[in-house]
Amino acid sequence: MKQSASFRDPCGFLFTEKNILFRQVNLEYQPHYDRLMSSGLYKLLVEKRWLIPHIEVDHKPEDKTIAYKVIQPIRIPFISYPYEWSFSQYKEAAQRTLDIQMLALEKGMTLKDASVYNIQFFEGHPVLIDTLSFEIYNEGAPWVAYRQFCQHFLAPLSLMSLVDIRLQQLMRVFIDGIPLDFASNLLPGKSHFNMGLEIHLHRHAASQKKYAGKGDEVKMKEARISKISFQGLVDNLQNTVKGLNWEPSGTEWADYYDITNYSKDSFEKKKTLISEFIDLAAPKMIWDVGANNGEFSRVGSGKGIFTVSSDIDPSAVEKNYLDNKSRNDKYILPLVIDLTNPSPGIGWENQERDSFLNRGPVDLVMSLALIHHLAISNNLPLTYIAEFFQKIGNWLIIEFVPKQDSQVQRLLSSRKDIFPTYNEKDFEEVFQSRFKLIRKENIEGTERTLYLFRK
Amino acid sequence: MENLIHLLAPLARERAYLDPGSGSILLQLLVAAALGAAFAVKVYWKKIKAALGKKSVESEQTPPENDNTGDKPETN
Repeated sequence: MKQSASFRDPCGFLFTEKNILFRQVNLEYQPHYDRLMSSGLYKLLVEKRWLIPHIEVDHKPEDKTIAYKVIQPIRIPFISYPYEWSFSQYKEAAQRTLDIQMLALEKGMTLKDASVYNIQFFEGHPVLIDTLSFEIYNEGAPWVAYRQFCQHFLAPLSLMSLVDIRLQQLMRVFIDGIPLDFASNLLPGKSHFNMGLEIHLHRHAASQKKYAGKGDEVKMKEARISKISFQGLVDNLQNTVKGLNWEPSGTEWADYYDITNYSKDSFEKKKTLISEFIDLAAPKMIWDVGANNGEFSRVGSGKGIFTVSSDIDPSAVEKNYLDNKSRNDKYILPLVIDLTNPSPGIGWENQERDSFLNRGPVDLVMSLALIHHLAISNNLPLTYIAEFFQKIGNWLIIEFVPKQDSQVQRLLSSRKDIFPTYNEKDFEEVFQSRFKLIRKENIEGTERTLYLFRK
Repeated sequence: MENLIHLLAPLARERAYLDPGSGSILLQLLVAAALGAAFAVKVYWKKIKAALGKKSVESEQTPPENDNTGDKPETN
């Protein structure tokens, strides 16, 4: 069965059979594939962990008439998209793409596309997953992927860095990256004094506009882009990306743990309980939703269980990512997700890029210090919340935060209390009608209770 | 400069399933020479620094492998 997003490139495509992922390499791609392998580029990229490794398999191709080989790449445990990444994840994805292009040139190859969707996170780092992105480099040819790189990486990153981090969500709206004229309009005046942004975004947008639809004007003239110029272009892009920064502070959750009603002791007790509950559930994958900076996600990842650690706050997710990097944690993937409005399916037939919920269900869901935000801040009935958790996971660790808790008092301080059914008794009734209660423990030193449920 | 698009069109579109965009190709042409020259200088300068670093008897430190500071005239 062909993958829904894998249709644009005539050189090959992804397909699954019996839940195993294969990539068909077409005859058209043969010389490029052979060069990728024989030049040593593949080996070098895999050693550096810049490209997803694959093996060649003796498997029946999906379309025999055009097939050269079938390869089996290592499967990414959880697919994520650029509108879900933290700033640094996105920046590193851009840098990785340029690093790969630079290295490819040294080995006589080049990237024929620079789509952000060719990058996924694997063991904590961005990797190229499209093995067929490489083609033989003929000196003189310009970079055909330059436009795409600017739209998919440079435009969003500069908008996030110089205007507002939330502009990242434009990547949900524009399936082929942010149009350069649009980015150019939104960027502040000072961006014109940033040489890289002036060339690759502003001048680029102007050039696009000027030569739109004029591809067949007459008269030949001697012109080529030498290899050193090509390298100069990539190097300049590298410098431009490097100069784009964003500080993760000043948003509501970044300083959360400093002002909550958790003593250090209660904190540790909560971690111990979570650890016990995870052992009981024995999951292969965990979704920690509303995970803040990933403090409790690391209980799972510390056991070597792959954990998707999501939160609505880009600052918290950024801190999560930077923290994991410093500890080289291979088992955790931080993502920016608004649980009340998670990533929808987008692209062709709304199926090219999967919705967040479609990427589940998962063995274990953790919902810690979250329910009061869903029920009170978002007016979600407990029945809706219970049904939602039932849909997305088999096991559930959930922390009930009662009205007496200072955090809930804060939420209710500026509004009328219209939540008569928000109490422990009703909570248990609603959840126990959909789940089997396995464990229930009060978190010592707090008003909160931790539950372990199983579908 | 518009003349150049016609020559480059075959080079660019030969194997590209991706539309490179005429404006994008043309911009590369425009900046190619300058960026290429700057890069060449940078590479050459790195080689000189490395050579000087090796020859220096007193200095125990190797020159920093820093790709991204003001070696180029036009840094951001």
